[in-house]
Amino acid sequence: MRKLTRREIVKLAGIVGAGVLLPGEVQAFGSMIEAIVEKISEGIKGTIGKDIEIPPPVPGTKFGMVIDLGLCIGCRRCSYGCKLENNVPDSINPPYIMVFQTKYKPGQVMAESDLLGKNKERGTLKYTRLRKDRMYMPVQCNHCLDAPCTKVCPTKATYKSADGIVMMDYNKCIGCRYCMAACPYGARRFNWSKPTGILAENINPMVPLRTDGIVEKCTFCVHRTRRGSTTKCVEVCPNKARTFGNLNDPNSAVSRIITSERNFRLKEGLNTNPNIYYLTDPKRKPMRWFKAEPLDMDIRGLKS
Amino acid sequence: MKVIKDALGYATENLRADRKFYIYCFVLMIIAGVGLSGAVTALAEGHVHSNMSDMVPWGILISGLAFFIGLSAGATMVGLLIHGFGRDDYHPIGTRAILVGMMCIFAAMGCVMMDVGNPFRAMKIPFLLRNETSMFFISSSSYMGFTVLLIAELVSTIYVTIGKASRRGKKIAKVLGIIAVPYALIVVHSFTGTIFGVVKAREMWNTPMLPVHFVTSALASGFALVILVTIITSWINRKDLVSRETYNHMGIMLCFFLIATTFLDTFDYLILSYSGTAEGLETWHIFTGRYLPTFLINMVGLYVALTMTAFKKLRTPTGLFISTIVTIIAIGAYRINLISIAQLIPLYHELGEIQYVPNMHEVAPLIGLTAALMLLFSILTKVLPLEDKVHINNE
Repeated sequence: MRKLTRREIVKLAGIVGAGVLLPGEVQAFGSMIEAIVEKISEGIKGTIGKDIEIPPPVPGTKFGMVIDLGLCIGCRRCSYGCKLENNVPDSINPPYIMVFQTKYKPGQVMAESDLLGKNKERGTLKYTRLRKDRMYMPVQCNHCLDAPCTKVCPTKATYKSADGIVMMDYNKCIGCRYCMAACPYGARRFNWSKPTGILAENINPMVPLRTDGIVEKCTFCVHRTRRGSTTKCVEVCPNKARTFGNLNDPNSAVSRIITSERNFRLKEGLNTNPNIYYLTDPKRKPMRWFKAEPLDMDIRGLKS
Repeated sequence: MKVIKDALGYATENLRADRKFYIYCFVLMIIAGVGLSGAVTALAEGHVHSNMSDMVPWGILISGLAFFIGLSAGATMVGLLIHGFGRDDYHPIGTRAILVGMMCIFAAMGCVMMDVGNPFRAMKIPFLLRNETSMFFISSSSYMGFTVLLIAELVSTIYVTIGKASRRGKKIAKVLGIIAVPYALIVVHSFTGTIFGVVKAREMWNTPMLPVHFVTSALASGFALVILVTIITSWINRKDLVSRETYNHMGIMLCFFLIATTFLDTFDYLILSYSGTAEGLETWHIFTGRYLPTFLINMVGLYVALTMTAFKKLRTPTGLFISTIVTIIAIGAYRINLISIAQLIPLYHELGEIQYVPNMHEVAPLIGLTAALMLLFSILTKVLPLEDKVHINNE
């Protein structure tokens, strides 16, 4: 048998190597091209949610919400419920509703000097166990009357609708993230990758599925609220910390609460006129503790 | 047709037999290819590999946008000096300066296109998608206008250079050279500054001084780049493109731009350190704490460049070579400070410490884009009939 020369061995190794590596590389390259073609087509046509009907704004309505901090127990059911209701993928993190856990006892005055970025607890991203000596504060899109995001969006992909909801048109969003930089409430989420972690059986057919490269946010569950229902976060809150309704109607629950109880809005100095009000004075109301452990809750049960 | 034929003939003539040039082009091509492949990956998979997050939505590519837009400003100054102030000694670098401006505006637009989630949809701006209240819309539209203006200026200047421009053509070249400066400064740079200036959610950005700051730093960095290109070209050709007196004048101009930028930078930071808001104070602490290196590169760099250009003895090609590089790096650091690091102030205290350091998935496309445009610039300077070459040929 003839002995192979060094050159022949290298050549053979090259052929074998290419045979092993190439199919995988070709496949990866093919899927990359496919993704780019899909993005081009999506960019030109804009097909997200084209077959889903979004109800028109309700005339004479200004939707708003009240969150009672004295009643919020930090269970994050609102966050989970919202995630499922709005087909928010796992790749979106933090979810639309962030629930902060402060290290202060209810009623204790927060010292500004203690809060300058020294709080290492990134409680928003973790589903921490409830603690009775902590306060919880859910934050989300405030659906501002003078929303900075709608002014800066270069394509009107985000806009203020007549009923006070700051809406998203996913087919106009170019993914510049200017709205995210401009939002004082950190309420907007970008699809940094293709959405992952939505189970087919959990998909809500009333809400469009988004794709990578676009921004999304809380829509006050527009598919529900404009049909006369309430938002999912309100529905699933076990302690009734949230109230949703029409701020233009003086007899609505939200209007009555904000005219009769001590309340504040986030970052009022920025004159964004948020439509989410917070009730404070936690001392007045005793904390009512929710019996179920938040981590064991039946997530899919929320959909029913 | 004859013009195109002549131009092609001229181009082929100039490209012939220059081995070193081909090696240089090959190296740039490799860098551009590797770097821009990162942009293609991001296009297919999204920015998932970047270090940006929902809390820091704008990263190094937006800093790149501000940086390159700034660089394109100074380039237009040469046109104003030639046509507006009659400084004929700047004539040999007239076309090169326009090309530098063009490459920088391409780089800026490339940064935006690589950064947005769907660049194909972004191409619908400004005709199919628009929001007139958005500074991003106004700026991106102005970049397109600026590109058209620079191309027109380039073509008219070339016609003048090769001696084929009519009296009217010369007048057009002159008018374009003059109006490019106010257009660049007032429309392009001021509005780029305004993109950030209108964001009231971010303490560091929300100031009416930002457009002014952008204009001054743009003039300093852009003019520094033109000087740098002039020096490097002179060294490669082993023949000074401009006289020592012109270098001195360039140095004085740069010194004035640096005075304005350094003044604004110094007082910006000084006032920030006494800020009336917790966010402002935290911005100052982040700059001087976790991100001290970029802060120092910005401030020390500006003072070093200012000192160097202030002395006549140092306004030599070698001295200017150093001071222009220092200026460009210092202003680059300012852009990173202003855009990327200024977003690290948590919108809620409970979010804790936010970190952002750009990774290779963000930096590589930026390097690739820079290499690709350096390549384009080199080829264009080789094939186009620039003032110095035509002058040499005539001799």
